[in-house]
Amino acid sequence: MIEASSGVANREITPRLGYAATLLIAALWMTPFLWMLVAAFNPHTYGGSGMASLVPSYVPTLGNFAEAWASADFPRYGLNTAIISFGILAGQIVMITLAGYAFARLEFPGRTLCFYLFLLQLMLAPVVLIVPNLATIAKLGLYDSLLGVMAPYFASAFGTFLMRQAFRAIPRELEDAALIDGASVWQRIGFIYLPLAKPSLIAFGIVSVTSHWNEFLWPLMVINSPDLRPLTVGLASFTRGAEGAQAWGVIAAGTLMVSAPLLIAFALFQRAFVNSFVSSGIK
Amino acid sequence: MTSTTRRSVLAGAAFAASFAITPAFAQAPTEIELFFPVPVDGQLARDMTALIKEFNEKNPAIKATPVYTGSYDETLIKTRAAMKAGKPPAAVIMSANFLLDLKIEGEIQKLDDLIKTDGKTNEAYMGQFFRALHGNAVLDRSVYGVPFHNSTPLLYVNADHFKEAGLDPEKLPSNWEELASAAKKLTKREGDRVTRWGIIAPSNYDYGGWILQALTQSNGGQWFNVDYGGEVYYDSPSMLGALTFWSDLVGKHKVHPAGVQAGGAVSTAFLSGQASMVLLSTGSLTHIRTNAKFPYKVAFVPKNVKNEVPIGGASLVIPTGVEGERRKAAWTLINWMTSPEKSGWWSRATGYFAPNMAAYELPEMKEFIAKNPDAGIAVSQLAYAKPWFATYKTVPVRKAIEDELQAVLSGKKQPKEALVSAQKTADEIMKPYVEQTALKLPTN
Repeated sequence: MIEASSGVANREITPRLGYAATLLIAALWMTPFLWMLVAAFNPHTYGGSGMASLVPSYVPTLGNFAEAWASADFPRYGLNTAIISFGILAGQIVMITLAGYAFARLEFPGRTLCFYLFLLQLMLAPVVLIVPNLATIAKLGLYDSLLGVMAPYFASAFGTFLMRQAFRAIPRELEDAALIDGASVWQRIGFIYLPLAKPSLIAFGIVSVTSHWNEFLWPLMVINSPDLRPLTVGLASFTRGAEGAQAWGVIAAGTLMVSAPLLIAFALFQRAFVNSFVSSGIK
Repeated sequence: MTSTTRRSVLAGAAFAASFAITPAFAQAPTEIELFFPVPVDGQLARDMTALIKEFNEKNPAIKATPVYTGSYDETLIKTRAAMKAGKPPAAVIMSANFLLDLKIEGEIQKLDDLIKTDGKTNEAYMGQFFRALHGNAVLDRSVYGVPFHNSTPLLYVNADHFKEAGLDPEKLPSNWEELASAAKKLTKREGDRVTRWGIIAPSNYDYGGWILQALTQSNGGQWFNVDYGGEVYYDSPSMLGALTFWSDLVGKHKVHPAGVQAGGAVSTAFLSGQASMVLLSTGSLTHIRTNAKFPYKVAFVPKNVKNEVPIGGASLVIPTGVEGERRKAAWTLINWMTSPEKSGWWSRATGYFAPNMAAYELPEMKEFIAKNPDAGIAVSQLAYAKPWFATYKTVPVRKAIEDELQAVLSGKKQPKEALVSAQKTADEIMKPYVEQTALKLPTN
């Protein structure tokens, strides 16, 4: 009896502590976002001591959004960013599925060596490759094009690694059964491996889209035409002055506009996303 | 009118129109790109677009496209990458102190023959620009860059705060002692918390090195060998004095916030009244003027030994590999942009100096200076300006000291050890060049 009650007490206290700790971390993590939200609606765009406050002390205004919106061609930049992020993802899905299958299931000489060489890509900081990549892009005739921004990312080492792990976890018997029914290699990938690796694919998709949505330096290198600018470059052209003052209100409003599509998508598909992370093992 | 006749009339009109259009089609405009950074604020990206649009309207044979290329450092990366990819832009607005490195690497062109074709000598051509700007444009007697917008650091002061602290806003600090004592009076505290800083100077990359150069020079010292690209004097007494002064404002007097202060945040702190004095570029003048809701004053950078500041800003360059019609078109654009009218317009829009001295003779500029004496003070400081530090591999050599500067301002290092280590890193970076040039001795 006594043992049982102390057990209950334990069970009650520990989750509460855990819950409180989670809330605390969540609050810390949310602070910059909340500040951005508060600043975006602040009519005093250059601050004042109230600018640093997390608690709004003003009549909210949409003026900052209007100014940010007028500063750059956001619909076009948004479209460009979407084309880049989802175009990269589409290319990656094809490449990592096929490469992942090859490394997981096909037997060929030097397979392990090849795989490790492939993984070496993860060790290189992308900045180091700017010049050689740009030279290749120019030779392919892709300089100043959206495809040029996308191309270097199609072969993702991280994605290939992820898919290889996912495919290896799928019992080989399933493939053997399909093989007996006369399924081709494409059919086996399409009907057995891909559906079963869906959580990994979704998880990879989130990581890929968020990172390319926010990318600045590489698109800046490839793109010259104002019409082809992605959001990050467009936003930077009016917020990143080094010698002027930072118009925090406008920057916050612009940043909110740039990140809103991703935030909304995450809010809508939150459950599916979290599940896919849990089952794919990425945390 | 029947439909037949209407159709024939339309056809005739179209036929006639096709003749009228032909000459324009026969000579397609020469397409050139101008890479430009936005060193000030977003408004300038729009101003630049407007400027180039006007150029294209006035020069139908040329079609220039302005390409936003990030910060000064990113503009350098993008230009170099584009050149290596075989796509050099026709013209670039390049940070003035990168020209030496670009010249050493053979990445920018001499403009001498273009000047000669226009019937001028190099001396006559450069004579139209302020003397202080020549050091960052003329290298080995050849012209490599055309000054476009230039700056020096400037002391900005909140006049209301001065009065409130019992200081005279008509008599601004002119030396380090006065600066430190004014900063002490201006700093406000609530217990241990500082609610208003006496002075803030930016220390982010690019800006920090420039401000430290201003302090070093006003301390009587030199930052680099003006005549040779392989020497910097990081570990020298004048620089130790400058860095110690800055670090004392933070650690000893507690009138300057600790840690890295970004340029934009410094202007914001000034505009919002959280800083009473700031050291910022003349490039910020227009921005401060339009956004300050209080009376402000500007003054020379306070001296310790003598008045001297470095030049900042950017010049127009033509990369190697730009030839023929594109080169000519780039030259036309460069001369148009640096003409007295345009450089004056740009100066009023930004706060930068118009490098072309004739700009200040124009009536609209005279009127502008009369109305805005702060802009006039900025120009008069040019008489005390010296070239901006420029070495072989300027950016990494500059980062070597900026990393240490940031460590000192964050309280992680003492000035002396910081300078010793910056000197070591910089020497290491410049070693290949020094061995190729200064140490290349006859062997027999």
